[in-house]
Formats: sequence, C-alpha cells, structure tokens
Amino acid sequence: MFQYFAVPELTKTFLAALIGILTLVGIMTRPFRWNEAVIAMAGAGVLLLLGLVAPADAFITLARDWNTFLFFLGMMGISALAEAAGLFDWLAVQAARLAGRSATRLFLNIFLLGSLISMILSNDATALILTPVVYVLVTKLRLPVLPFLFACTFIADTASFLLPISNPINIIILSRFPLSLAIFLRLLFLPSLVVIGMNVGVFFLLYRQQLRGSFDLGRLPILEDARRHQVYFRYTCGVLVLVAVAYVIASAKQFPLSLVALTGGAVLLIGALSWKTINLRDLGKRISWSIFGFIAGMVIVVRSIEDTGLTSAFGNWLLHLSGGTGAGAVIVGTAGAAIGTNLINNVPMAVVMASALGSIQHAPIAVQHGFVAATIFGCDLGPNLTTVGSLATMLWLLILRRRGIEVSGLDYFRVGVIVTPIMLAAGALTILLLL
Amino acid sequence: MRVLCCLDGTNVEQMKRATAMLSGSEPITLGLIYVIDTGARHDIEHTRERFLRPHGSPPSRQHEMDEAERASAKETLDEGSHCFSGAETLQRQGTPEREIVNAAVEWQADLVIVCPRGEYGGTPRVGPKSIGHTARFVLDHAPCPVLLMRPPNQGPFPRQFR
Repeated sequence: MFQYFAVPELTKTFLAALIGILTLVGIMTRPFRWNEAVIAMAGAGVLLLLGLVAPADAFITLARDWNTFLFFLGMMGISALAEAAGLFDWLAVQAARLAGRSATRLFLNIFLLGSLISMILSNDATALILTPVVYVLVTKLRLPVLPFLFACTFIADTASFLLPISNPINIIILSRFPLSLAIFLRLLFLPSLVVIGMNVGVFFLLYRQQLRGSFDLGRLPILEDARRHQVYFRYTCGVLVLVAVAYVIASAKQFPLSLVALTGGAVLLIGALSWKTINLRDLGKRISWSIFGFIAGMVIVVRSIEDTGLTSAFGNWLLHLSGGTGAGAVIVGTAGAAIGTNLINNVPMAVVMASALGSIQHAPIAVQHGFVAATIFGCDLGPNLTTVGSLATMLWLLILRRRGIEVSGLDYFRVGVIVTPIMLAAGALTILLLL
Repeated sequence: MRVLCCLDGTNVEQMKRATAMLSGSEPITLGLIYVIDTGARHDIEHTRERFLRPHGSPPSRQHEMDEAERASAKETLDEGSHCFSGAETLQRQGTPEREIVNAAVEWQADLVIVCPRGEYGGTPRVGPKSIGHTARFVLDHAPCPVLLMRPPNQGPFPRQFR
C-alpha cells in the first residue's frame, strides 16, 4: 500500500517494528488461543499488504531458508513412515524385554532409546511418537505412567544436540551460521552427554520410590506383532541405517541435510506404497503442514524487523553483555536463548537469534562459536523448563489452577524448574571448557 | 453401611485388610472404584501443542491408548471383584481425586477407603508428604468419613531432643 503513497521512512520503520513486535507478543500470549501459525502468517500478510516488505524480498528470504523447510518435511515424513512400519513399538517392546523384569532398568532403557531416536530421527520423533508408545507399554505393564512419560518428553530435548539433525532448530541456526561437524561435535557432543547423564540421574532420584518394582514379562505385547509388515519393517530399518550414515557424511561435507532427509523419506515412501502399509492421504495427515506457514510467517516478520535494525541492535546488545569474550558469549547466549524459548517457543526464538547473531560476525571466532553453540544449546534444552513451550500455555494452566481446576502440565513445570536450570548451567560450563 | 474402596492397581491387599477391620459391625455394601487418569493424555497433548502439531495423536494410536487404559481398568476391577465377591464396580475416567469424590456423592457412600499413594514396590512411605495428592484431595473434599489405609509402621516416632 505504501508503494503508492509517500510515507516517511521513519514511519515505515516504526510500523514494521510495531507489527513485528505485535506478532511476537501475539505468539507469546496467543489471544483467544489462536494458533501460532495463524498469528505469524497474519503478521507477515499485514507487512506484505502495507508494502513494508516487498513480495520479491519476501520470496528471496523464504527461498534462502529452503534447507529448513525441506528438512522439516523430510524429517516428519521419515518419522511417520518409520511409525507406520511399527519401528517405535518394536523398539519399546525390545527395551522392556532387555530390562528383564526391572522397572528401574526399563526406565534407563527408555532414556537410552529416547536418546537414540532423538539423535537419528530428531527430538520430534521422541516427543510425539515414542511418548504415546511408551504410555501404552507402561499402562499394559501396570507401572507408574508419569515417570516414563516425563522421561520421554525431557530426553527428547536433552538429547537434541548430539548431532545437527537431532533437532530442526539446529538446522535453522546452522543454515545461517554453518559449523563444521568437527566443531559442532567438539562444542556440543560432550555437553549433550553431560546433560543426558544429569537428566537420568536427577530423574532416578526423583522417582526412585516408584521405580523399585518389577513387571510381569507375560504382559508384554508379542514382539512380532509390533512389526506391522515384516518385509517393510526390515526395509525401514535398512533405510534408516543408511540415512543415519548419510546424515553424518553430509554434516561432515556441509552437504544440505534436507536433501538427505527428503531422499530418505522418498525411499521409505516407495517401500510403504509398494507394500501398502500407508497411503498418501494418511501420510499427509501425519505431517503438520501448519508448521511451514508458521516458519514462513516468522521468517518474513523477522526479515522486516531486520530492516529496522532492531535485530542487529539486539545482537550488538548480546555481544556487549558478553563483554566480547567466549565465556560471556556462552553464558549470555545460553541464558538469552533459554529464556526466549520459554516465552515464544523455540522455533521463533531460533529465527530471531539467527537474525540477531548476524551482527556478531566481526567478533573473534571464539565468541562467534560460543554464541552459535550456546544458542543451539539454549534453544534445544530451554523448553524443558516449562515443557509446554510458551508463556501463554503456562499462564493458561496457572489461570485454570487458580479457578480450582486441576490441570496437568504443572507437574511437568515442577520437574522442569528443578532439573533444567541445573542442566543449563552444567552444559554451558562444559561448552565453556571446550571452547 | 455403604463403603467405597478406591483401587489403584496396587492396593487390593490393603483394601482387604481395611474391610476385615470393618467386618463385625453393621452389614457392608462394598463398592470398588477405579479411575482412568486422563492427566497423562493431557500431558501428551501439551507436548503436541509445544511442537506445533494439531490436536490429537493419529486415530490408531489413540485407539491403542484407549484399549490399554480400559484393559488396565478392567483387570484392576476384576482383581477387586475376585477378592470382594458381590461388590459393585464403578469405572470412571478423569481426574482421579475429583471422580472419587463425585462417585462418593452419587453412590451415597457412608465411608471411603483410600490408600496414601500407589505403591510400586518401594518401601511404603511414612512421614511428611507420605500422602499423595489424590488421597489428600479425597480427605479434604469427601462428603463422608474417609478411612486412610496407611501401611503398618513398625518403628516408634523419634522423640524430640531437648
């Protein structure tokens, strides 16, 4: 609209900043429980309508993030097709068999399984697919459900920076600030092991009373029943092993990880369609299409804020707070990302941080690495604090509680408040020592 | 006397002890209640929300969860019925403490028997915070007397140092 009217630049800047901030506040508070994707796309739509972002500019910005969009698609496709093969059910039953009859060993096995799935298939697969599978398993075994449920949800995030593909957030940040696999592993693999160890240790301490029992192996589902189609199951396992190897090679060679994910998804899909284990309609239902709208909206909104200089000012402020040192970068980056991710969810926070960190490119390399590693660490692990992901949901739960309505979610919060700050501090310290 | 026993899958033996203590008084009509706790399912939904996914797991997965919950409830109530022949069974779904209190009202219970918390093989707890939130809520809100069936405690309470 403003292309046709002479509007002072300052007014345009003010409006773009206002719309950007309102969009972020909207995502944070979610008025009337609106979906985040609707809010993000509305913000982007208003910016485009008012001409504050040119359509060509928006297109170029979105095209620049093709790796992120395609990775999300490939990752969700692979997880859905692996689920259709019965892989998660089979792995959960195996974890229970290997535990003997001990609830404690099963708890440990679930942590290990969650770590493995997060590492190779991303944290989404652990949190969204493994969790209901484990819920069914422990309900059948008549074990306490809550410790196992929390174990899945927490380990999904705690193990999500073992590899670049362990969390789509890593791809968002690494698309803007590529780190070689060697540097990624040097800075984040050991901290990941440290926080996984702490997560397991604290949970064993918290739930020691409930985990002393044993379960009856006769209650376990039959292992063969978990595999929905024998040949497709074997095919899926083979493809996933190849995809895991390809991920590592692609990370090392700086080859786009989205292409590996998409190819893996396509190969699995061919098998699934051939053996008729899933059809395209069902697969489509298992993919969250609104995520693409959400990310696209966020990317355009943040692009417009970039033009106002707000994100670079935010980046410079972070740099100033860090004192221009590697240690400061790790502490400020971790704290900033972790707090932000609990306010506006980790996807928009990663987009904002990726833009803000554009202004640290003149800083010494140790500071840059410190900020990038800490941002990944904070955005990945931070959600464990509230686990509900946004201030809005947390406030909603607290309001319900005040009205005398018993709500879940607050139980998570109680555990998260104890465990997460300890893990954040220990992980940041480890990154610091490795920088 | 109408007595409502709150089963949780781990406490049939304790309920047997409790009802044995009551026998010899007036005739007892027993009710056995088991509540499928929906809190865990809500937690799974919160996780989906956080990962920006639409509401509800895939229908086949939801069906599996429903089946597992129902089977567990049936098994627990069958165990109870086996121990207390002729007892009426009540299966509910929701927040356990609220469902128990509401069932006590609807069933016109004269007494509710509840255990402090589910015991999954650990040493029964005695002392501060030994009563779980479900039993605590029932004690606070039940419309009738409540018998809290504590595990037997062998040791004496330590005397205060002077």
